[in-house]
Amino acid sequence: MVKKLNLRDFLMSYGFAIIFALVLIFFALGTENFLSLSNILTVLANSAPWLVMATGLALVIMTGSIDISIGSILFLSLALANSLMLNRGLPVAIGIPLILLMGALLGSVNGLLIVVVGINPLITTMGMMFALRGLALWLTSGLVQNIPPALQQFGRIGLFKEFIILTAAVILVLVHLLVTRTIFGRHVMAIGNNPEAAARLGVRVKRVRFLTFVMSGLMVCAGGTLQIMQISNVHPRLGQGYEFTAIAAAVVGGISLFGGEGSIIPGLVMGGLTLVIVENGLTHLGASPYVYPFVRGGIIFLAMYADAMKSRVMARVHVVKDEELTTTVPA
Amino acid sequence: MSAVGLRMVNIGKSFPGVQALRGVDLEAYAGEALAVIGANGAGKSTLMNVLGGVLRPDSGEIYIHGEPAEIHSPLDAARYGIAFVHQEMAMLPTLTIAENMFISTFPTRSGLIDYRSTNERSAQALARLGCDFPPGTRVSHLSPGDRQIVEIARGLLIHPKIIIFDEPTSSLTRREKARLFEVIAGLKAEGVTVIYITHFLDEVFSVCERAYVLRNGETVGGGMIKDLTYQGIVQMMIGAKEVTSYFGQKAGQAGELALKVEGLNRTGVLQDIGFELHQGEVLGLWGLLGSGRTELLRAIIGLDPIDSGKITVRDHGNLKPIQPKDAMNWIGMLTENRRDEGLLLPMSLKSNISLANLRGLVTSFWPLVNGGLETSLAEKFVSRLAIKTSGLDQPVATLSGGNQQKVVVGRWLERNPTIFFMDEPMRGLDVGAKAEIRTIITELAQSGTAVLVVSSEIEEIMSVSNRYLVMHRGRITGELPGTADKDELVAAAAGNR
Amino acid sequence: MSTAEKSDAFSIAEGDRRARAMTRDRLLAILPIVILVVVVVILGIFTPNFMTTRNAINVLEQASALALMAVGMTAVLVGGGIDLSLPANLALSGVLGALFMRGGGNPFIAALIMIVSGTLVGAINGYSVAYFRMIPFVVTLAMQFIAVGAATWLTESVSIANLPMSFVDTVQYRLSRVPVHVLVVVFLTLVFYVLFRNSFFGRWLYAVGTNARAARVSGVPAQKVIFGTYAFAGMTAGLAAVITVGRLMSASALMAGENVVLDVISSAVVGGVSIYGGVGSPLGAALGALLITLISNSMNMLRVSYYLTLVLKGVFIIVFVWLSSLRRR
Repeated sequence: MVKKLNLRDFLMSYGFAIIFALVLIFFALGTENFLSLSNILTVLANSAPWLVMATGLALVIMTGSIDISIGSILFLSLALANSLMLNRGLPVAIGIPLILLMGALLGSVNGLLIVVVGINPLITTMGMMFALRGLALWLTSGLVQNIPPALQQFGRIGLFKEFIILTAAVILVLVHLLVTRTIFGRHVMAIGNNPEAAARLGVRVKRVRFLTFVMSGLMVCAGGTLQIMQISNVHPRLGQGYEFTAIAAAVVGGISLFGGEGSIIPGLVMGGLTLVIVENGLTHLGASPYVYPFVRGGIIFLAMYADAMKSRVMARVHVVKDEELTTTVPA
Repeated sequence: MSAVGLRMVNIGKSFPGVQALRGVDLEAYAGEALAVIGANGAGKSTLMNVLGGVLRPDSGEIYIHGEPAEIHSPLDAARYGIAFVHQEMAMLPTLTIAENMFISTFPTRSGLIDYRSTNERSAQALARLGCDFPPGTRVSHLSPGDRQIVEIARGLLIHPKIIIFDEPTSSLTRREKARLFEVIAGLKAEGVTVIYITHFLDEVFSVCERAYVLRNGETVGGGMIKDLTYQGIVQMMIGAKEVTSYFGQKAGQAGELALKVEGLNRTGVLQDIGFELHQGEVLGLWGLLGSGRTELLRAIIGLDPIDSGKITVRDHGNLKPIQPKDAMNWIGMLTENRRDEGLLLPMSLKSNISLANLRGLVTSFWPLVNGGLETSLAEKFVSRLAIKTSGLDQPVATLSGGNQQKVVVGRWLERNPTIFFMDEPMRGLDVGAKAEIRTIITELAQSGTAVLVVSSEIEEIMSVSNRYLVMHRGRITGELPGTADKDELVAAAAGNR
Repeated sequence: MSTAEKSDAFSIAEGDRRARAMTRDRLLAILPIVILVVVVVILGIFTPNFMTTRNAINVLEQASALALMAVGMTAVLVGGGIDLSLPANLALSGVLGALFMRGGGNPFIAALIMIVSGTLVGAINGYSVAYFRMIPFVVTLAMQFIAVGAATWLTESVSIANLPMSFVDTVQYRLSRVPVHVLVVVFLTLVFYVLFRNSFFGRWLYAVGTNARAARVSGVPAQKVIFGTYAFAGMTAGLAAVITVGRLMSASALMAGENVVLDVISSAVVGGVSIYGGVGSPLGAALGALLITLISNSMNMLRVSYYLTLVLKGVFIIVFVWLSSLRRR
């Protein structure tokens, strides 16, 4: 019969929420101003673009694959579009969609190489990470570019933070619906569970996987656009390390790197927020900025450890209970 | 007079160098269950893959309810109303029952999945089988037996005319098995044609009306179950001629104690196992699939963890307690899946044989393997075990099954183990190769090695064992002398004490 | 599910056939080498001073640390894993040794510290992968963050210079124009080549990389082997730290430049090491490192933008891994 939910299952599935709560409480109690409205708004506005950026990658991870090129995809798309907007007078209204288009296009290159040609995803996206960054640096000659004044203005309007948070929230909800309520989303999960079984059951594995890479590129540009309005320039180190932050947010948020497991809401959101809160909290505690990489590395480590433990437990062969098996003996 | 639900005529299929099916004829009737019996390698899976549209036959026709059918893909098979319940279930553990059932046929409403409809329909499908699992349950929370019900329910969604069960009872509890048989009875009553693939003959007699026996890719016999006997079917499976010679000379006398196991426990898998194994004897570890035999061997040898237990071996004349992790110093192990766990397929015969003996091949101060010694080691076993190969550097992937098995045996022989565990040593081999392995086992025993053989094939185990140990659900339930006959063995395996 | 078994006669014939008709496989194996030769030749034609001894020694010098790490990476890759933390490990180890020397420590001990530190970091990676069953790329990624973070913190973002001349001189000492460290690396590469190929633990490694389950059943201590590969790789990073710090005469977190990882993996892949495990030799990896350095060097001399070199390297590695994956089919 159906196994009743027990404590272990609960921990496995919702551990990330518990961690999030603990982290929140820890910093709320340990620092002043942490729970002030302005700080909360700042934290949310800072995390919003990151969360959006990570959604596409989360889809890729859910299928059991990986994409470490998103930072470079973002950089190249922004650099190119920005350059066109600044130097060739491309109107912002076309520039922004162009960024998104580039993201989707570069994502589809990944998809092509990985799904159609069949090259190892880690190496392919690693190669792309360097190649695209190199290309973008070459285009910008390694210089910092300002974003068009129109966008800069936009970034200074009142209630800008609220706007970012709201836009991000809408996008996150939409992606969440995509995962939980569309056929595409269910197929993504199916593939992450067991690609062969999924294929046998009629799932178009290649097509779905290809689309996840497209989404990965698209969403990083969507989030990046939100972020660029806060930063107001395109600099040579833009995008560097973004993929790893996104992976960290996913893993901490319960999205298993083995695939087939996890959610956008609450998972990815809490994972990303946990990371940001930890750093924000550390600043409030007056910790030296040198500590951040440690903490981040340490968090990823722990989250990965938990992920590995989880997958071992789940994979254990189901044990048949103590019942007698009888067969009728032929006469 | 029931209608013919499925007829397959003269189905032939060959792969490079292998004739998997040679003109198989098969007839199954609506409202009846047809058993398709055969040893591993007889062609059952190939035949079913043809029916399921995974493989295209080279020759032959298929008729479904009298109409010719062209099955070129699994989609075609589904369209013709053929449903499969596979041995390795195609389940997606983190998704719910309803999602698993409708993964490629979700009802939608304005682009989004209509979960209410999905759940409702799935509950209905389950109810048809007398099941009330909540459709929103994650499949990972279900036992294999429950998952099978879900798989059957999924198969029934297409209102199949033909449903094929492939080795369905491997991991079922008694209750689940009874439920399965009820379901099959219900399907028959609705006029569905049931095809039941198994190698458990007792199930054939309790569930099916007809049977066909496959051997070496052709139908060698069959008919109504009421006209067949157990012995008769076995004879067809292995070839009537060989029955008597198969039970030929068995191994030697039992000598001193070589291995003693006491109180071995592994929660949920093995319970209070205790037995003795003597030098020079062949002990047949007998039981049905899922009784824990492989698990027992792996536990003793240290491949799987144990919770408690005492293992004693004879070392240089004295009995000595040992830890499972050191067991490989005295025990050689032939696993049941040589391709996955026995061999390094892309590597050469020579490297495979030397794998377990590398330290022994180091002759100088430097930790380097002596190439000449490695070669002569390989040559020694190629000749001793009559391994047919084009050269010592031939990748073992291209060797035949029997020869592959011999490579693994050779690998362990060099270590001169006093004890040898063999898990399904004759699985997947043709009759000639089986005979050769049998000879090797006999010779091993005659030279004083204590051999423990696990087999699910009654004929195989009877052909080598001096003594039997019966396992059932993780426990040793009995011991039988070498003179026990088939009926006694079958009864013992079934758990009748 | 079983498939029909082959007959003996057939399989012997098939063995012969396979041995003889490996055209496709051979072609694919040669193709990367052909590409490399072409690239080198083209570069040779267009680069000034390409064929001079001075240039050759220069390239060897620049390649030695990379070659060491590539050898270390080979062990990890053959075992079926990957290690993204080697350059970061190098940086941290270098910084630790340099700090020791700055504090007045004996340079020889400092070198030992670097090697030990490298091995320890590798051991942590190895333990996590082998015993906790964590995913190699994420573990080594996290380790990379931690190591770089530690190095940055320890140096407070300032590179450590003014190292004892004895240390620097030993590393840079030249034997008829060839630096000692190059000779050491050549020697070590050859030693490791022999060990990988012919020692019993080398065989264990290839067995584990080909089929870990079968290796285990045959008594190979798979977990220890995997653990060992990462510790070994860490050790090579520590050794490479000695060389790098000696050459640069300073130590900083920047020694772990992000594209060094790309170079290390590229060296191994170009050198014939398979990403999937079970295949590859340290000699190939070291030669791969040489080639990669040669290409970088020539690009530099040709005044090709560093950025475009990155693009090239990125494309390069994708192509090479693709060719490698074709051979598996």
